[in-house]
Amino acid sequence: MQETLHRIKNSKWLRNSLPFWLIMPTILVLLVVQVYPALYTGWLSLQEREPAGWTFVGFKNFERLFGTSQFAESVGHTIVFLVGYVVLTMIIGFITAFLLSRKIRFTGFYLTLLFIPWVIAQIIAGLVFRLLVVPDYGLLSGILQNPAIFPPNGLSILTAVTPRPWIGDFPFPPSPAMLLLILASTWRALPFVTLLLLAAIQTVSKEVLESSRIDGANGWQVIRYIMLPLMLPTLVVTIFNLTLSGMNGVGMVFSLTNGGPGTSTQVLSYMLYTIGWGQLQFGRAAALALIIAVINWLLITGTLRITRVEKRSI
Amino acid sequence: MRNWKQILTHLFLILACLFAMLPIMTTVLISFKRQQDITRKPPVLFPCDTETKSFDISACRWAVEGYQRVLAPKPSEDTLLGFSLTGNMIKTYLPNTLMYATISSLLVVFLAGTSGYAFSRFQFRGHNALLKGILAITGVPLLTNLLALYQMAVTLRKSTLPFDDRVFIIVVYIGFFLPLSVWIAKGFFDAIPRDLEEAALIDGCSPIGVLTRITMPLALPGLLAVFLLTFVNVWNEFIAGYLLIAKNEYKPAMFGLYDFLGQNIINLQVIAAACILIALPVVILFLFARNSFFKALVEGAVKG
Repeated sequence: MQETLHRIKNSKWLRNSLPFWLIMPTILVLLVVQVYPALYTGWLSLQEREPAGWTFVGFKNFERLFGTSQFAESVGHTIVFLVGYVVLTMIIGFITAFLLSRKIRFTGFYLTLLFIPWVIAQIIAGLVFRLLVVPDYGLLSGILQNPAIFPPNGLSILTAVTPRPWIGDFPFPPSPAMLLLILASTWRALPFVTLLLLAAIQTVSKEVLESSRIDGANGWQVIRYIMLPLMLPTLVVTIFNLTLSGMNGVGMVFSLTNGGPGTSTQVLSYMLYTIGWGQLQFGRAAALALIIAVINWLLITGTLRITRVEKRSI
Repeated sequence: MRNWKQILTHLFLILACLFAMLPIMTTVLISFKRQQDITRKPPVLFPCDTETKSFDISACRWAVEGYQRVLAPKPSEDTLLGFSLTGNMIKTYLPNTLMYATISSLLVVFLAGTSGYAFSRFQFRGHNALLKGILAITGVPLLTNLLALYQMAVTLRKSTLPFDDRVFIIVVYIGFFLPLSVWIAKGFFDAIPRDLEEAALIDGCSPIGVLTRITMPLALPGLLAVFLLTFVNVWNEFIAGYLLIAKNEYKPAMFGLYDFLGQNIINLQVIAAACILIALPVVILFLFARNSFFKALVEGAVKG
């Protein structure tokens, strides 16, 4: 009797503390690799490196960051990049997913081929596109650098100058290198978007679509008034996912353009790298990192609000 | 009418596949060219032209020069094939990447499995706060943490504590890819009906027994998906490996590739060959396990 009671008590204790033991290792790793570094970066953003060590300088790093024209320019590049990349990926991704969702043959085959770019590393994807447009020797350079096709001197994407901006200093129209960066990023993100949208389209109930057909809606109206509204949560999640990966991905810039020509493809994440490891201004880099992190958090909170993951997970 | 629509659908999808595959195919083509055919103006797609004809299949000048330069085979009598591969890429960088990817994804599966199970099956104080906290962490940009991790590595290297680049980078990779994996694993556990576990408990199975005999076998496909996803992510990761590892002999393949780019600005076939060699393993892995990838991606994105 005594023994049984003891066992029950024991197992209750185990059951109560089991979640703790299961989660603790994960929390420990995240504290070391994610939470502590994030807090450290916050501290770092208020410091400056002096020969004797770090000194507190208040918000001077932020002031200097905002003071340079480089920051405003990079924000511009990032906006141009993100808008181009997200819009292009969403449109092609939606069309592809929509077509894949129809009852046709070879869907699995298409999906497999379409998906391969996603497995290719960012840095390799950048190189693959770079190989196409290397000045003089790239396979596309033969066409692009032909003066008869692109007058007056032909177009060498990796060295072409940025066109004169239309409005103030905002880098629009983008440089050819930026367009290539957008194209290469789209290439790599497209599979992911297609897959998510395909999954969403497949959850739209067939009956709803059919009954709207019977009510006389044409194909476009079905997409516009039935399908897209029903898919809205997924569309939003996908857009935020894309924006986040676009904000933070730096590998593609590294291997494709190195931020150049000039600074015409220098997005915020690449600027962070050049300030931090290029100029060894870690305080200022930390300030920039915090700004990027805040933008990210806003995006994530937005995602949570819209999809109501908060409510579902309880 | 119906037929036309079908044909147009297939046409668009074939075009999309071409857009996806063409850059890769051209890279494969480049990797098999000779230096003379690389540095020609204007460039040619196939190195198959002769003086009289623009394309002659028998005159194609394919070469494995690029691969030779990457792999650097040297005759050696000790090995089975009569030569050994001495290139840094195959000798150092790729094995490093393989090791980092395997160890970190195994550990990620273990950690994400245990904590995903806990989040899915137990209600406890701080449950939702922790879960949201983990999601919030995915929003910290990699480069933000790298600033601090870099300083951490520098300090640790100077200190008297035992410090190993390899252990450090593996822990960092685990930390980077764990948050999303926890969410994916939780989603997979949520999909397993609780009735099964409760029935086993009533039949006298211990809580641990339920976990190891009922839940884990059912969760295995999901955990495999987490493993594959993390493996590919670590394999393809560049910036952390580039910045955090000081010793050259511990650097991963992506660093080796970036290094190659510096040395071979004009030898496009070498760069292309290196790209193909590094990408091939994960592409093959994907082809064999594509459904696992699809499941994990949808799960991770829709929830996280």
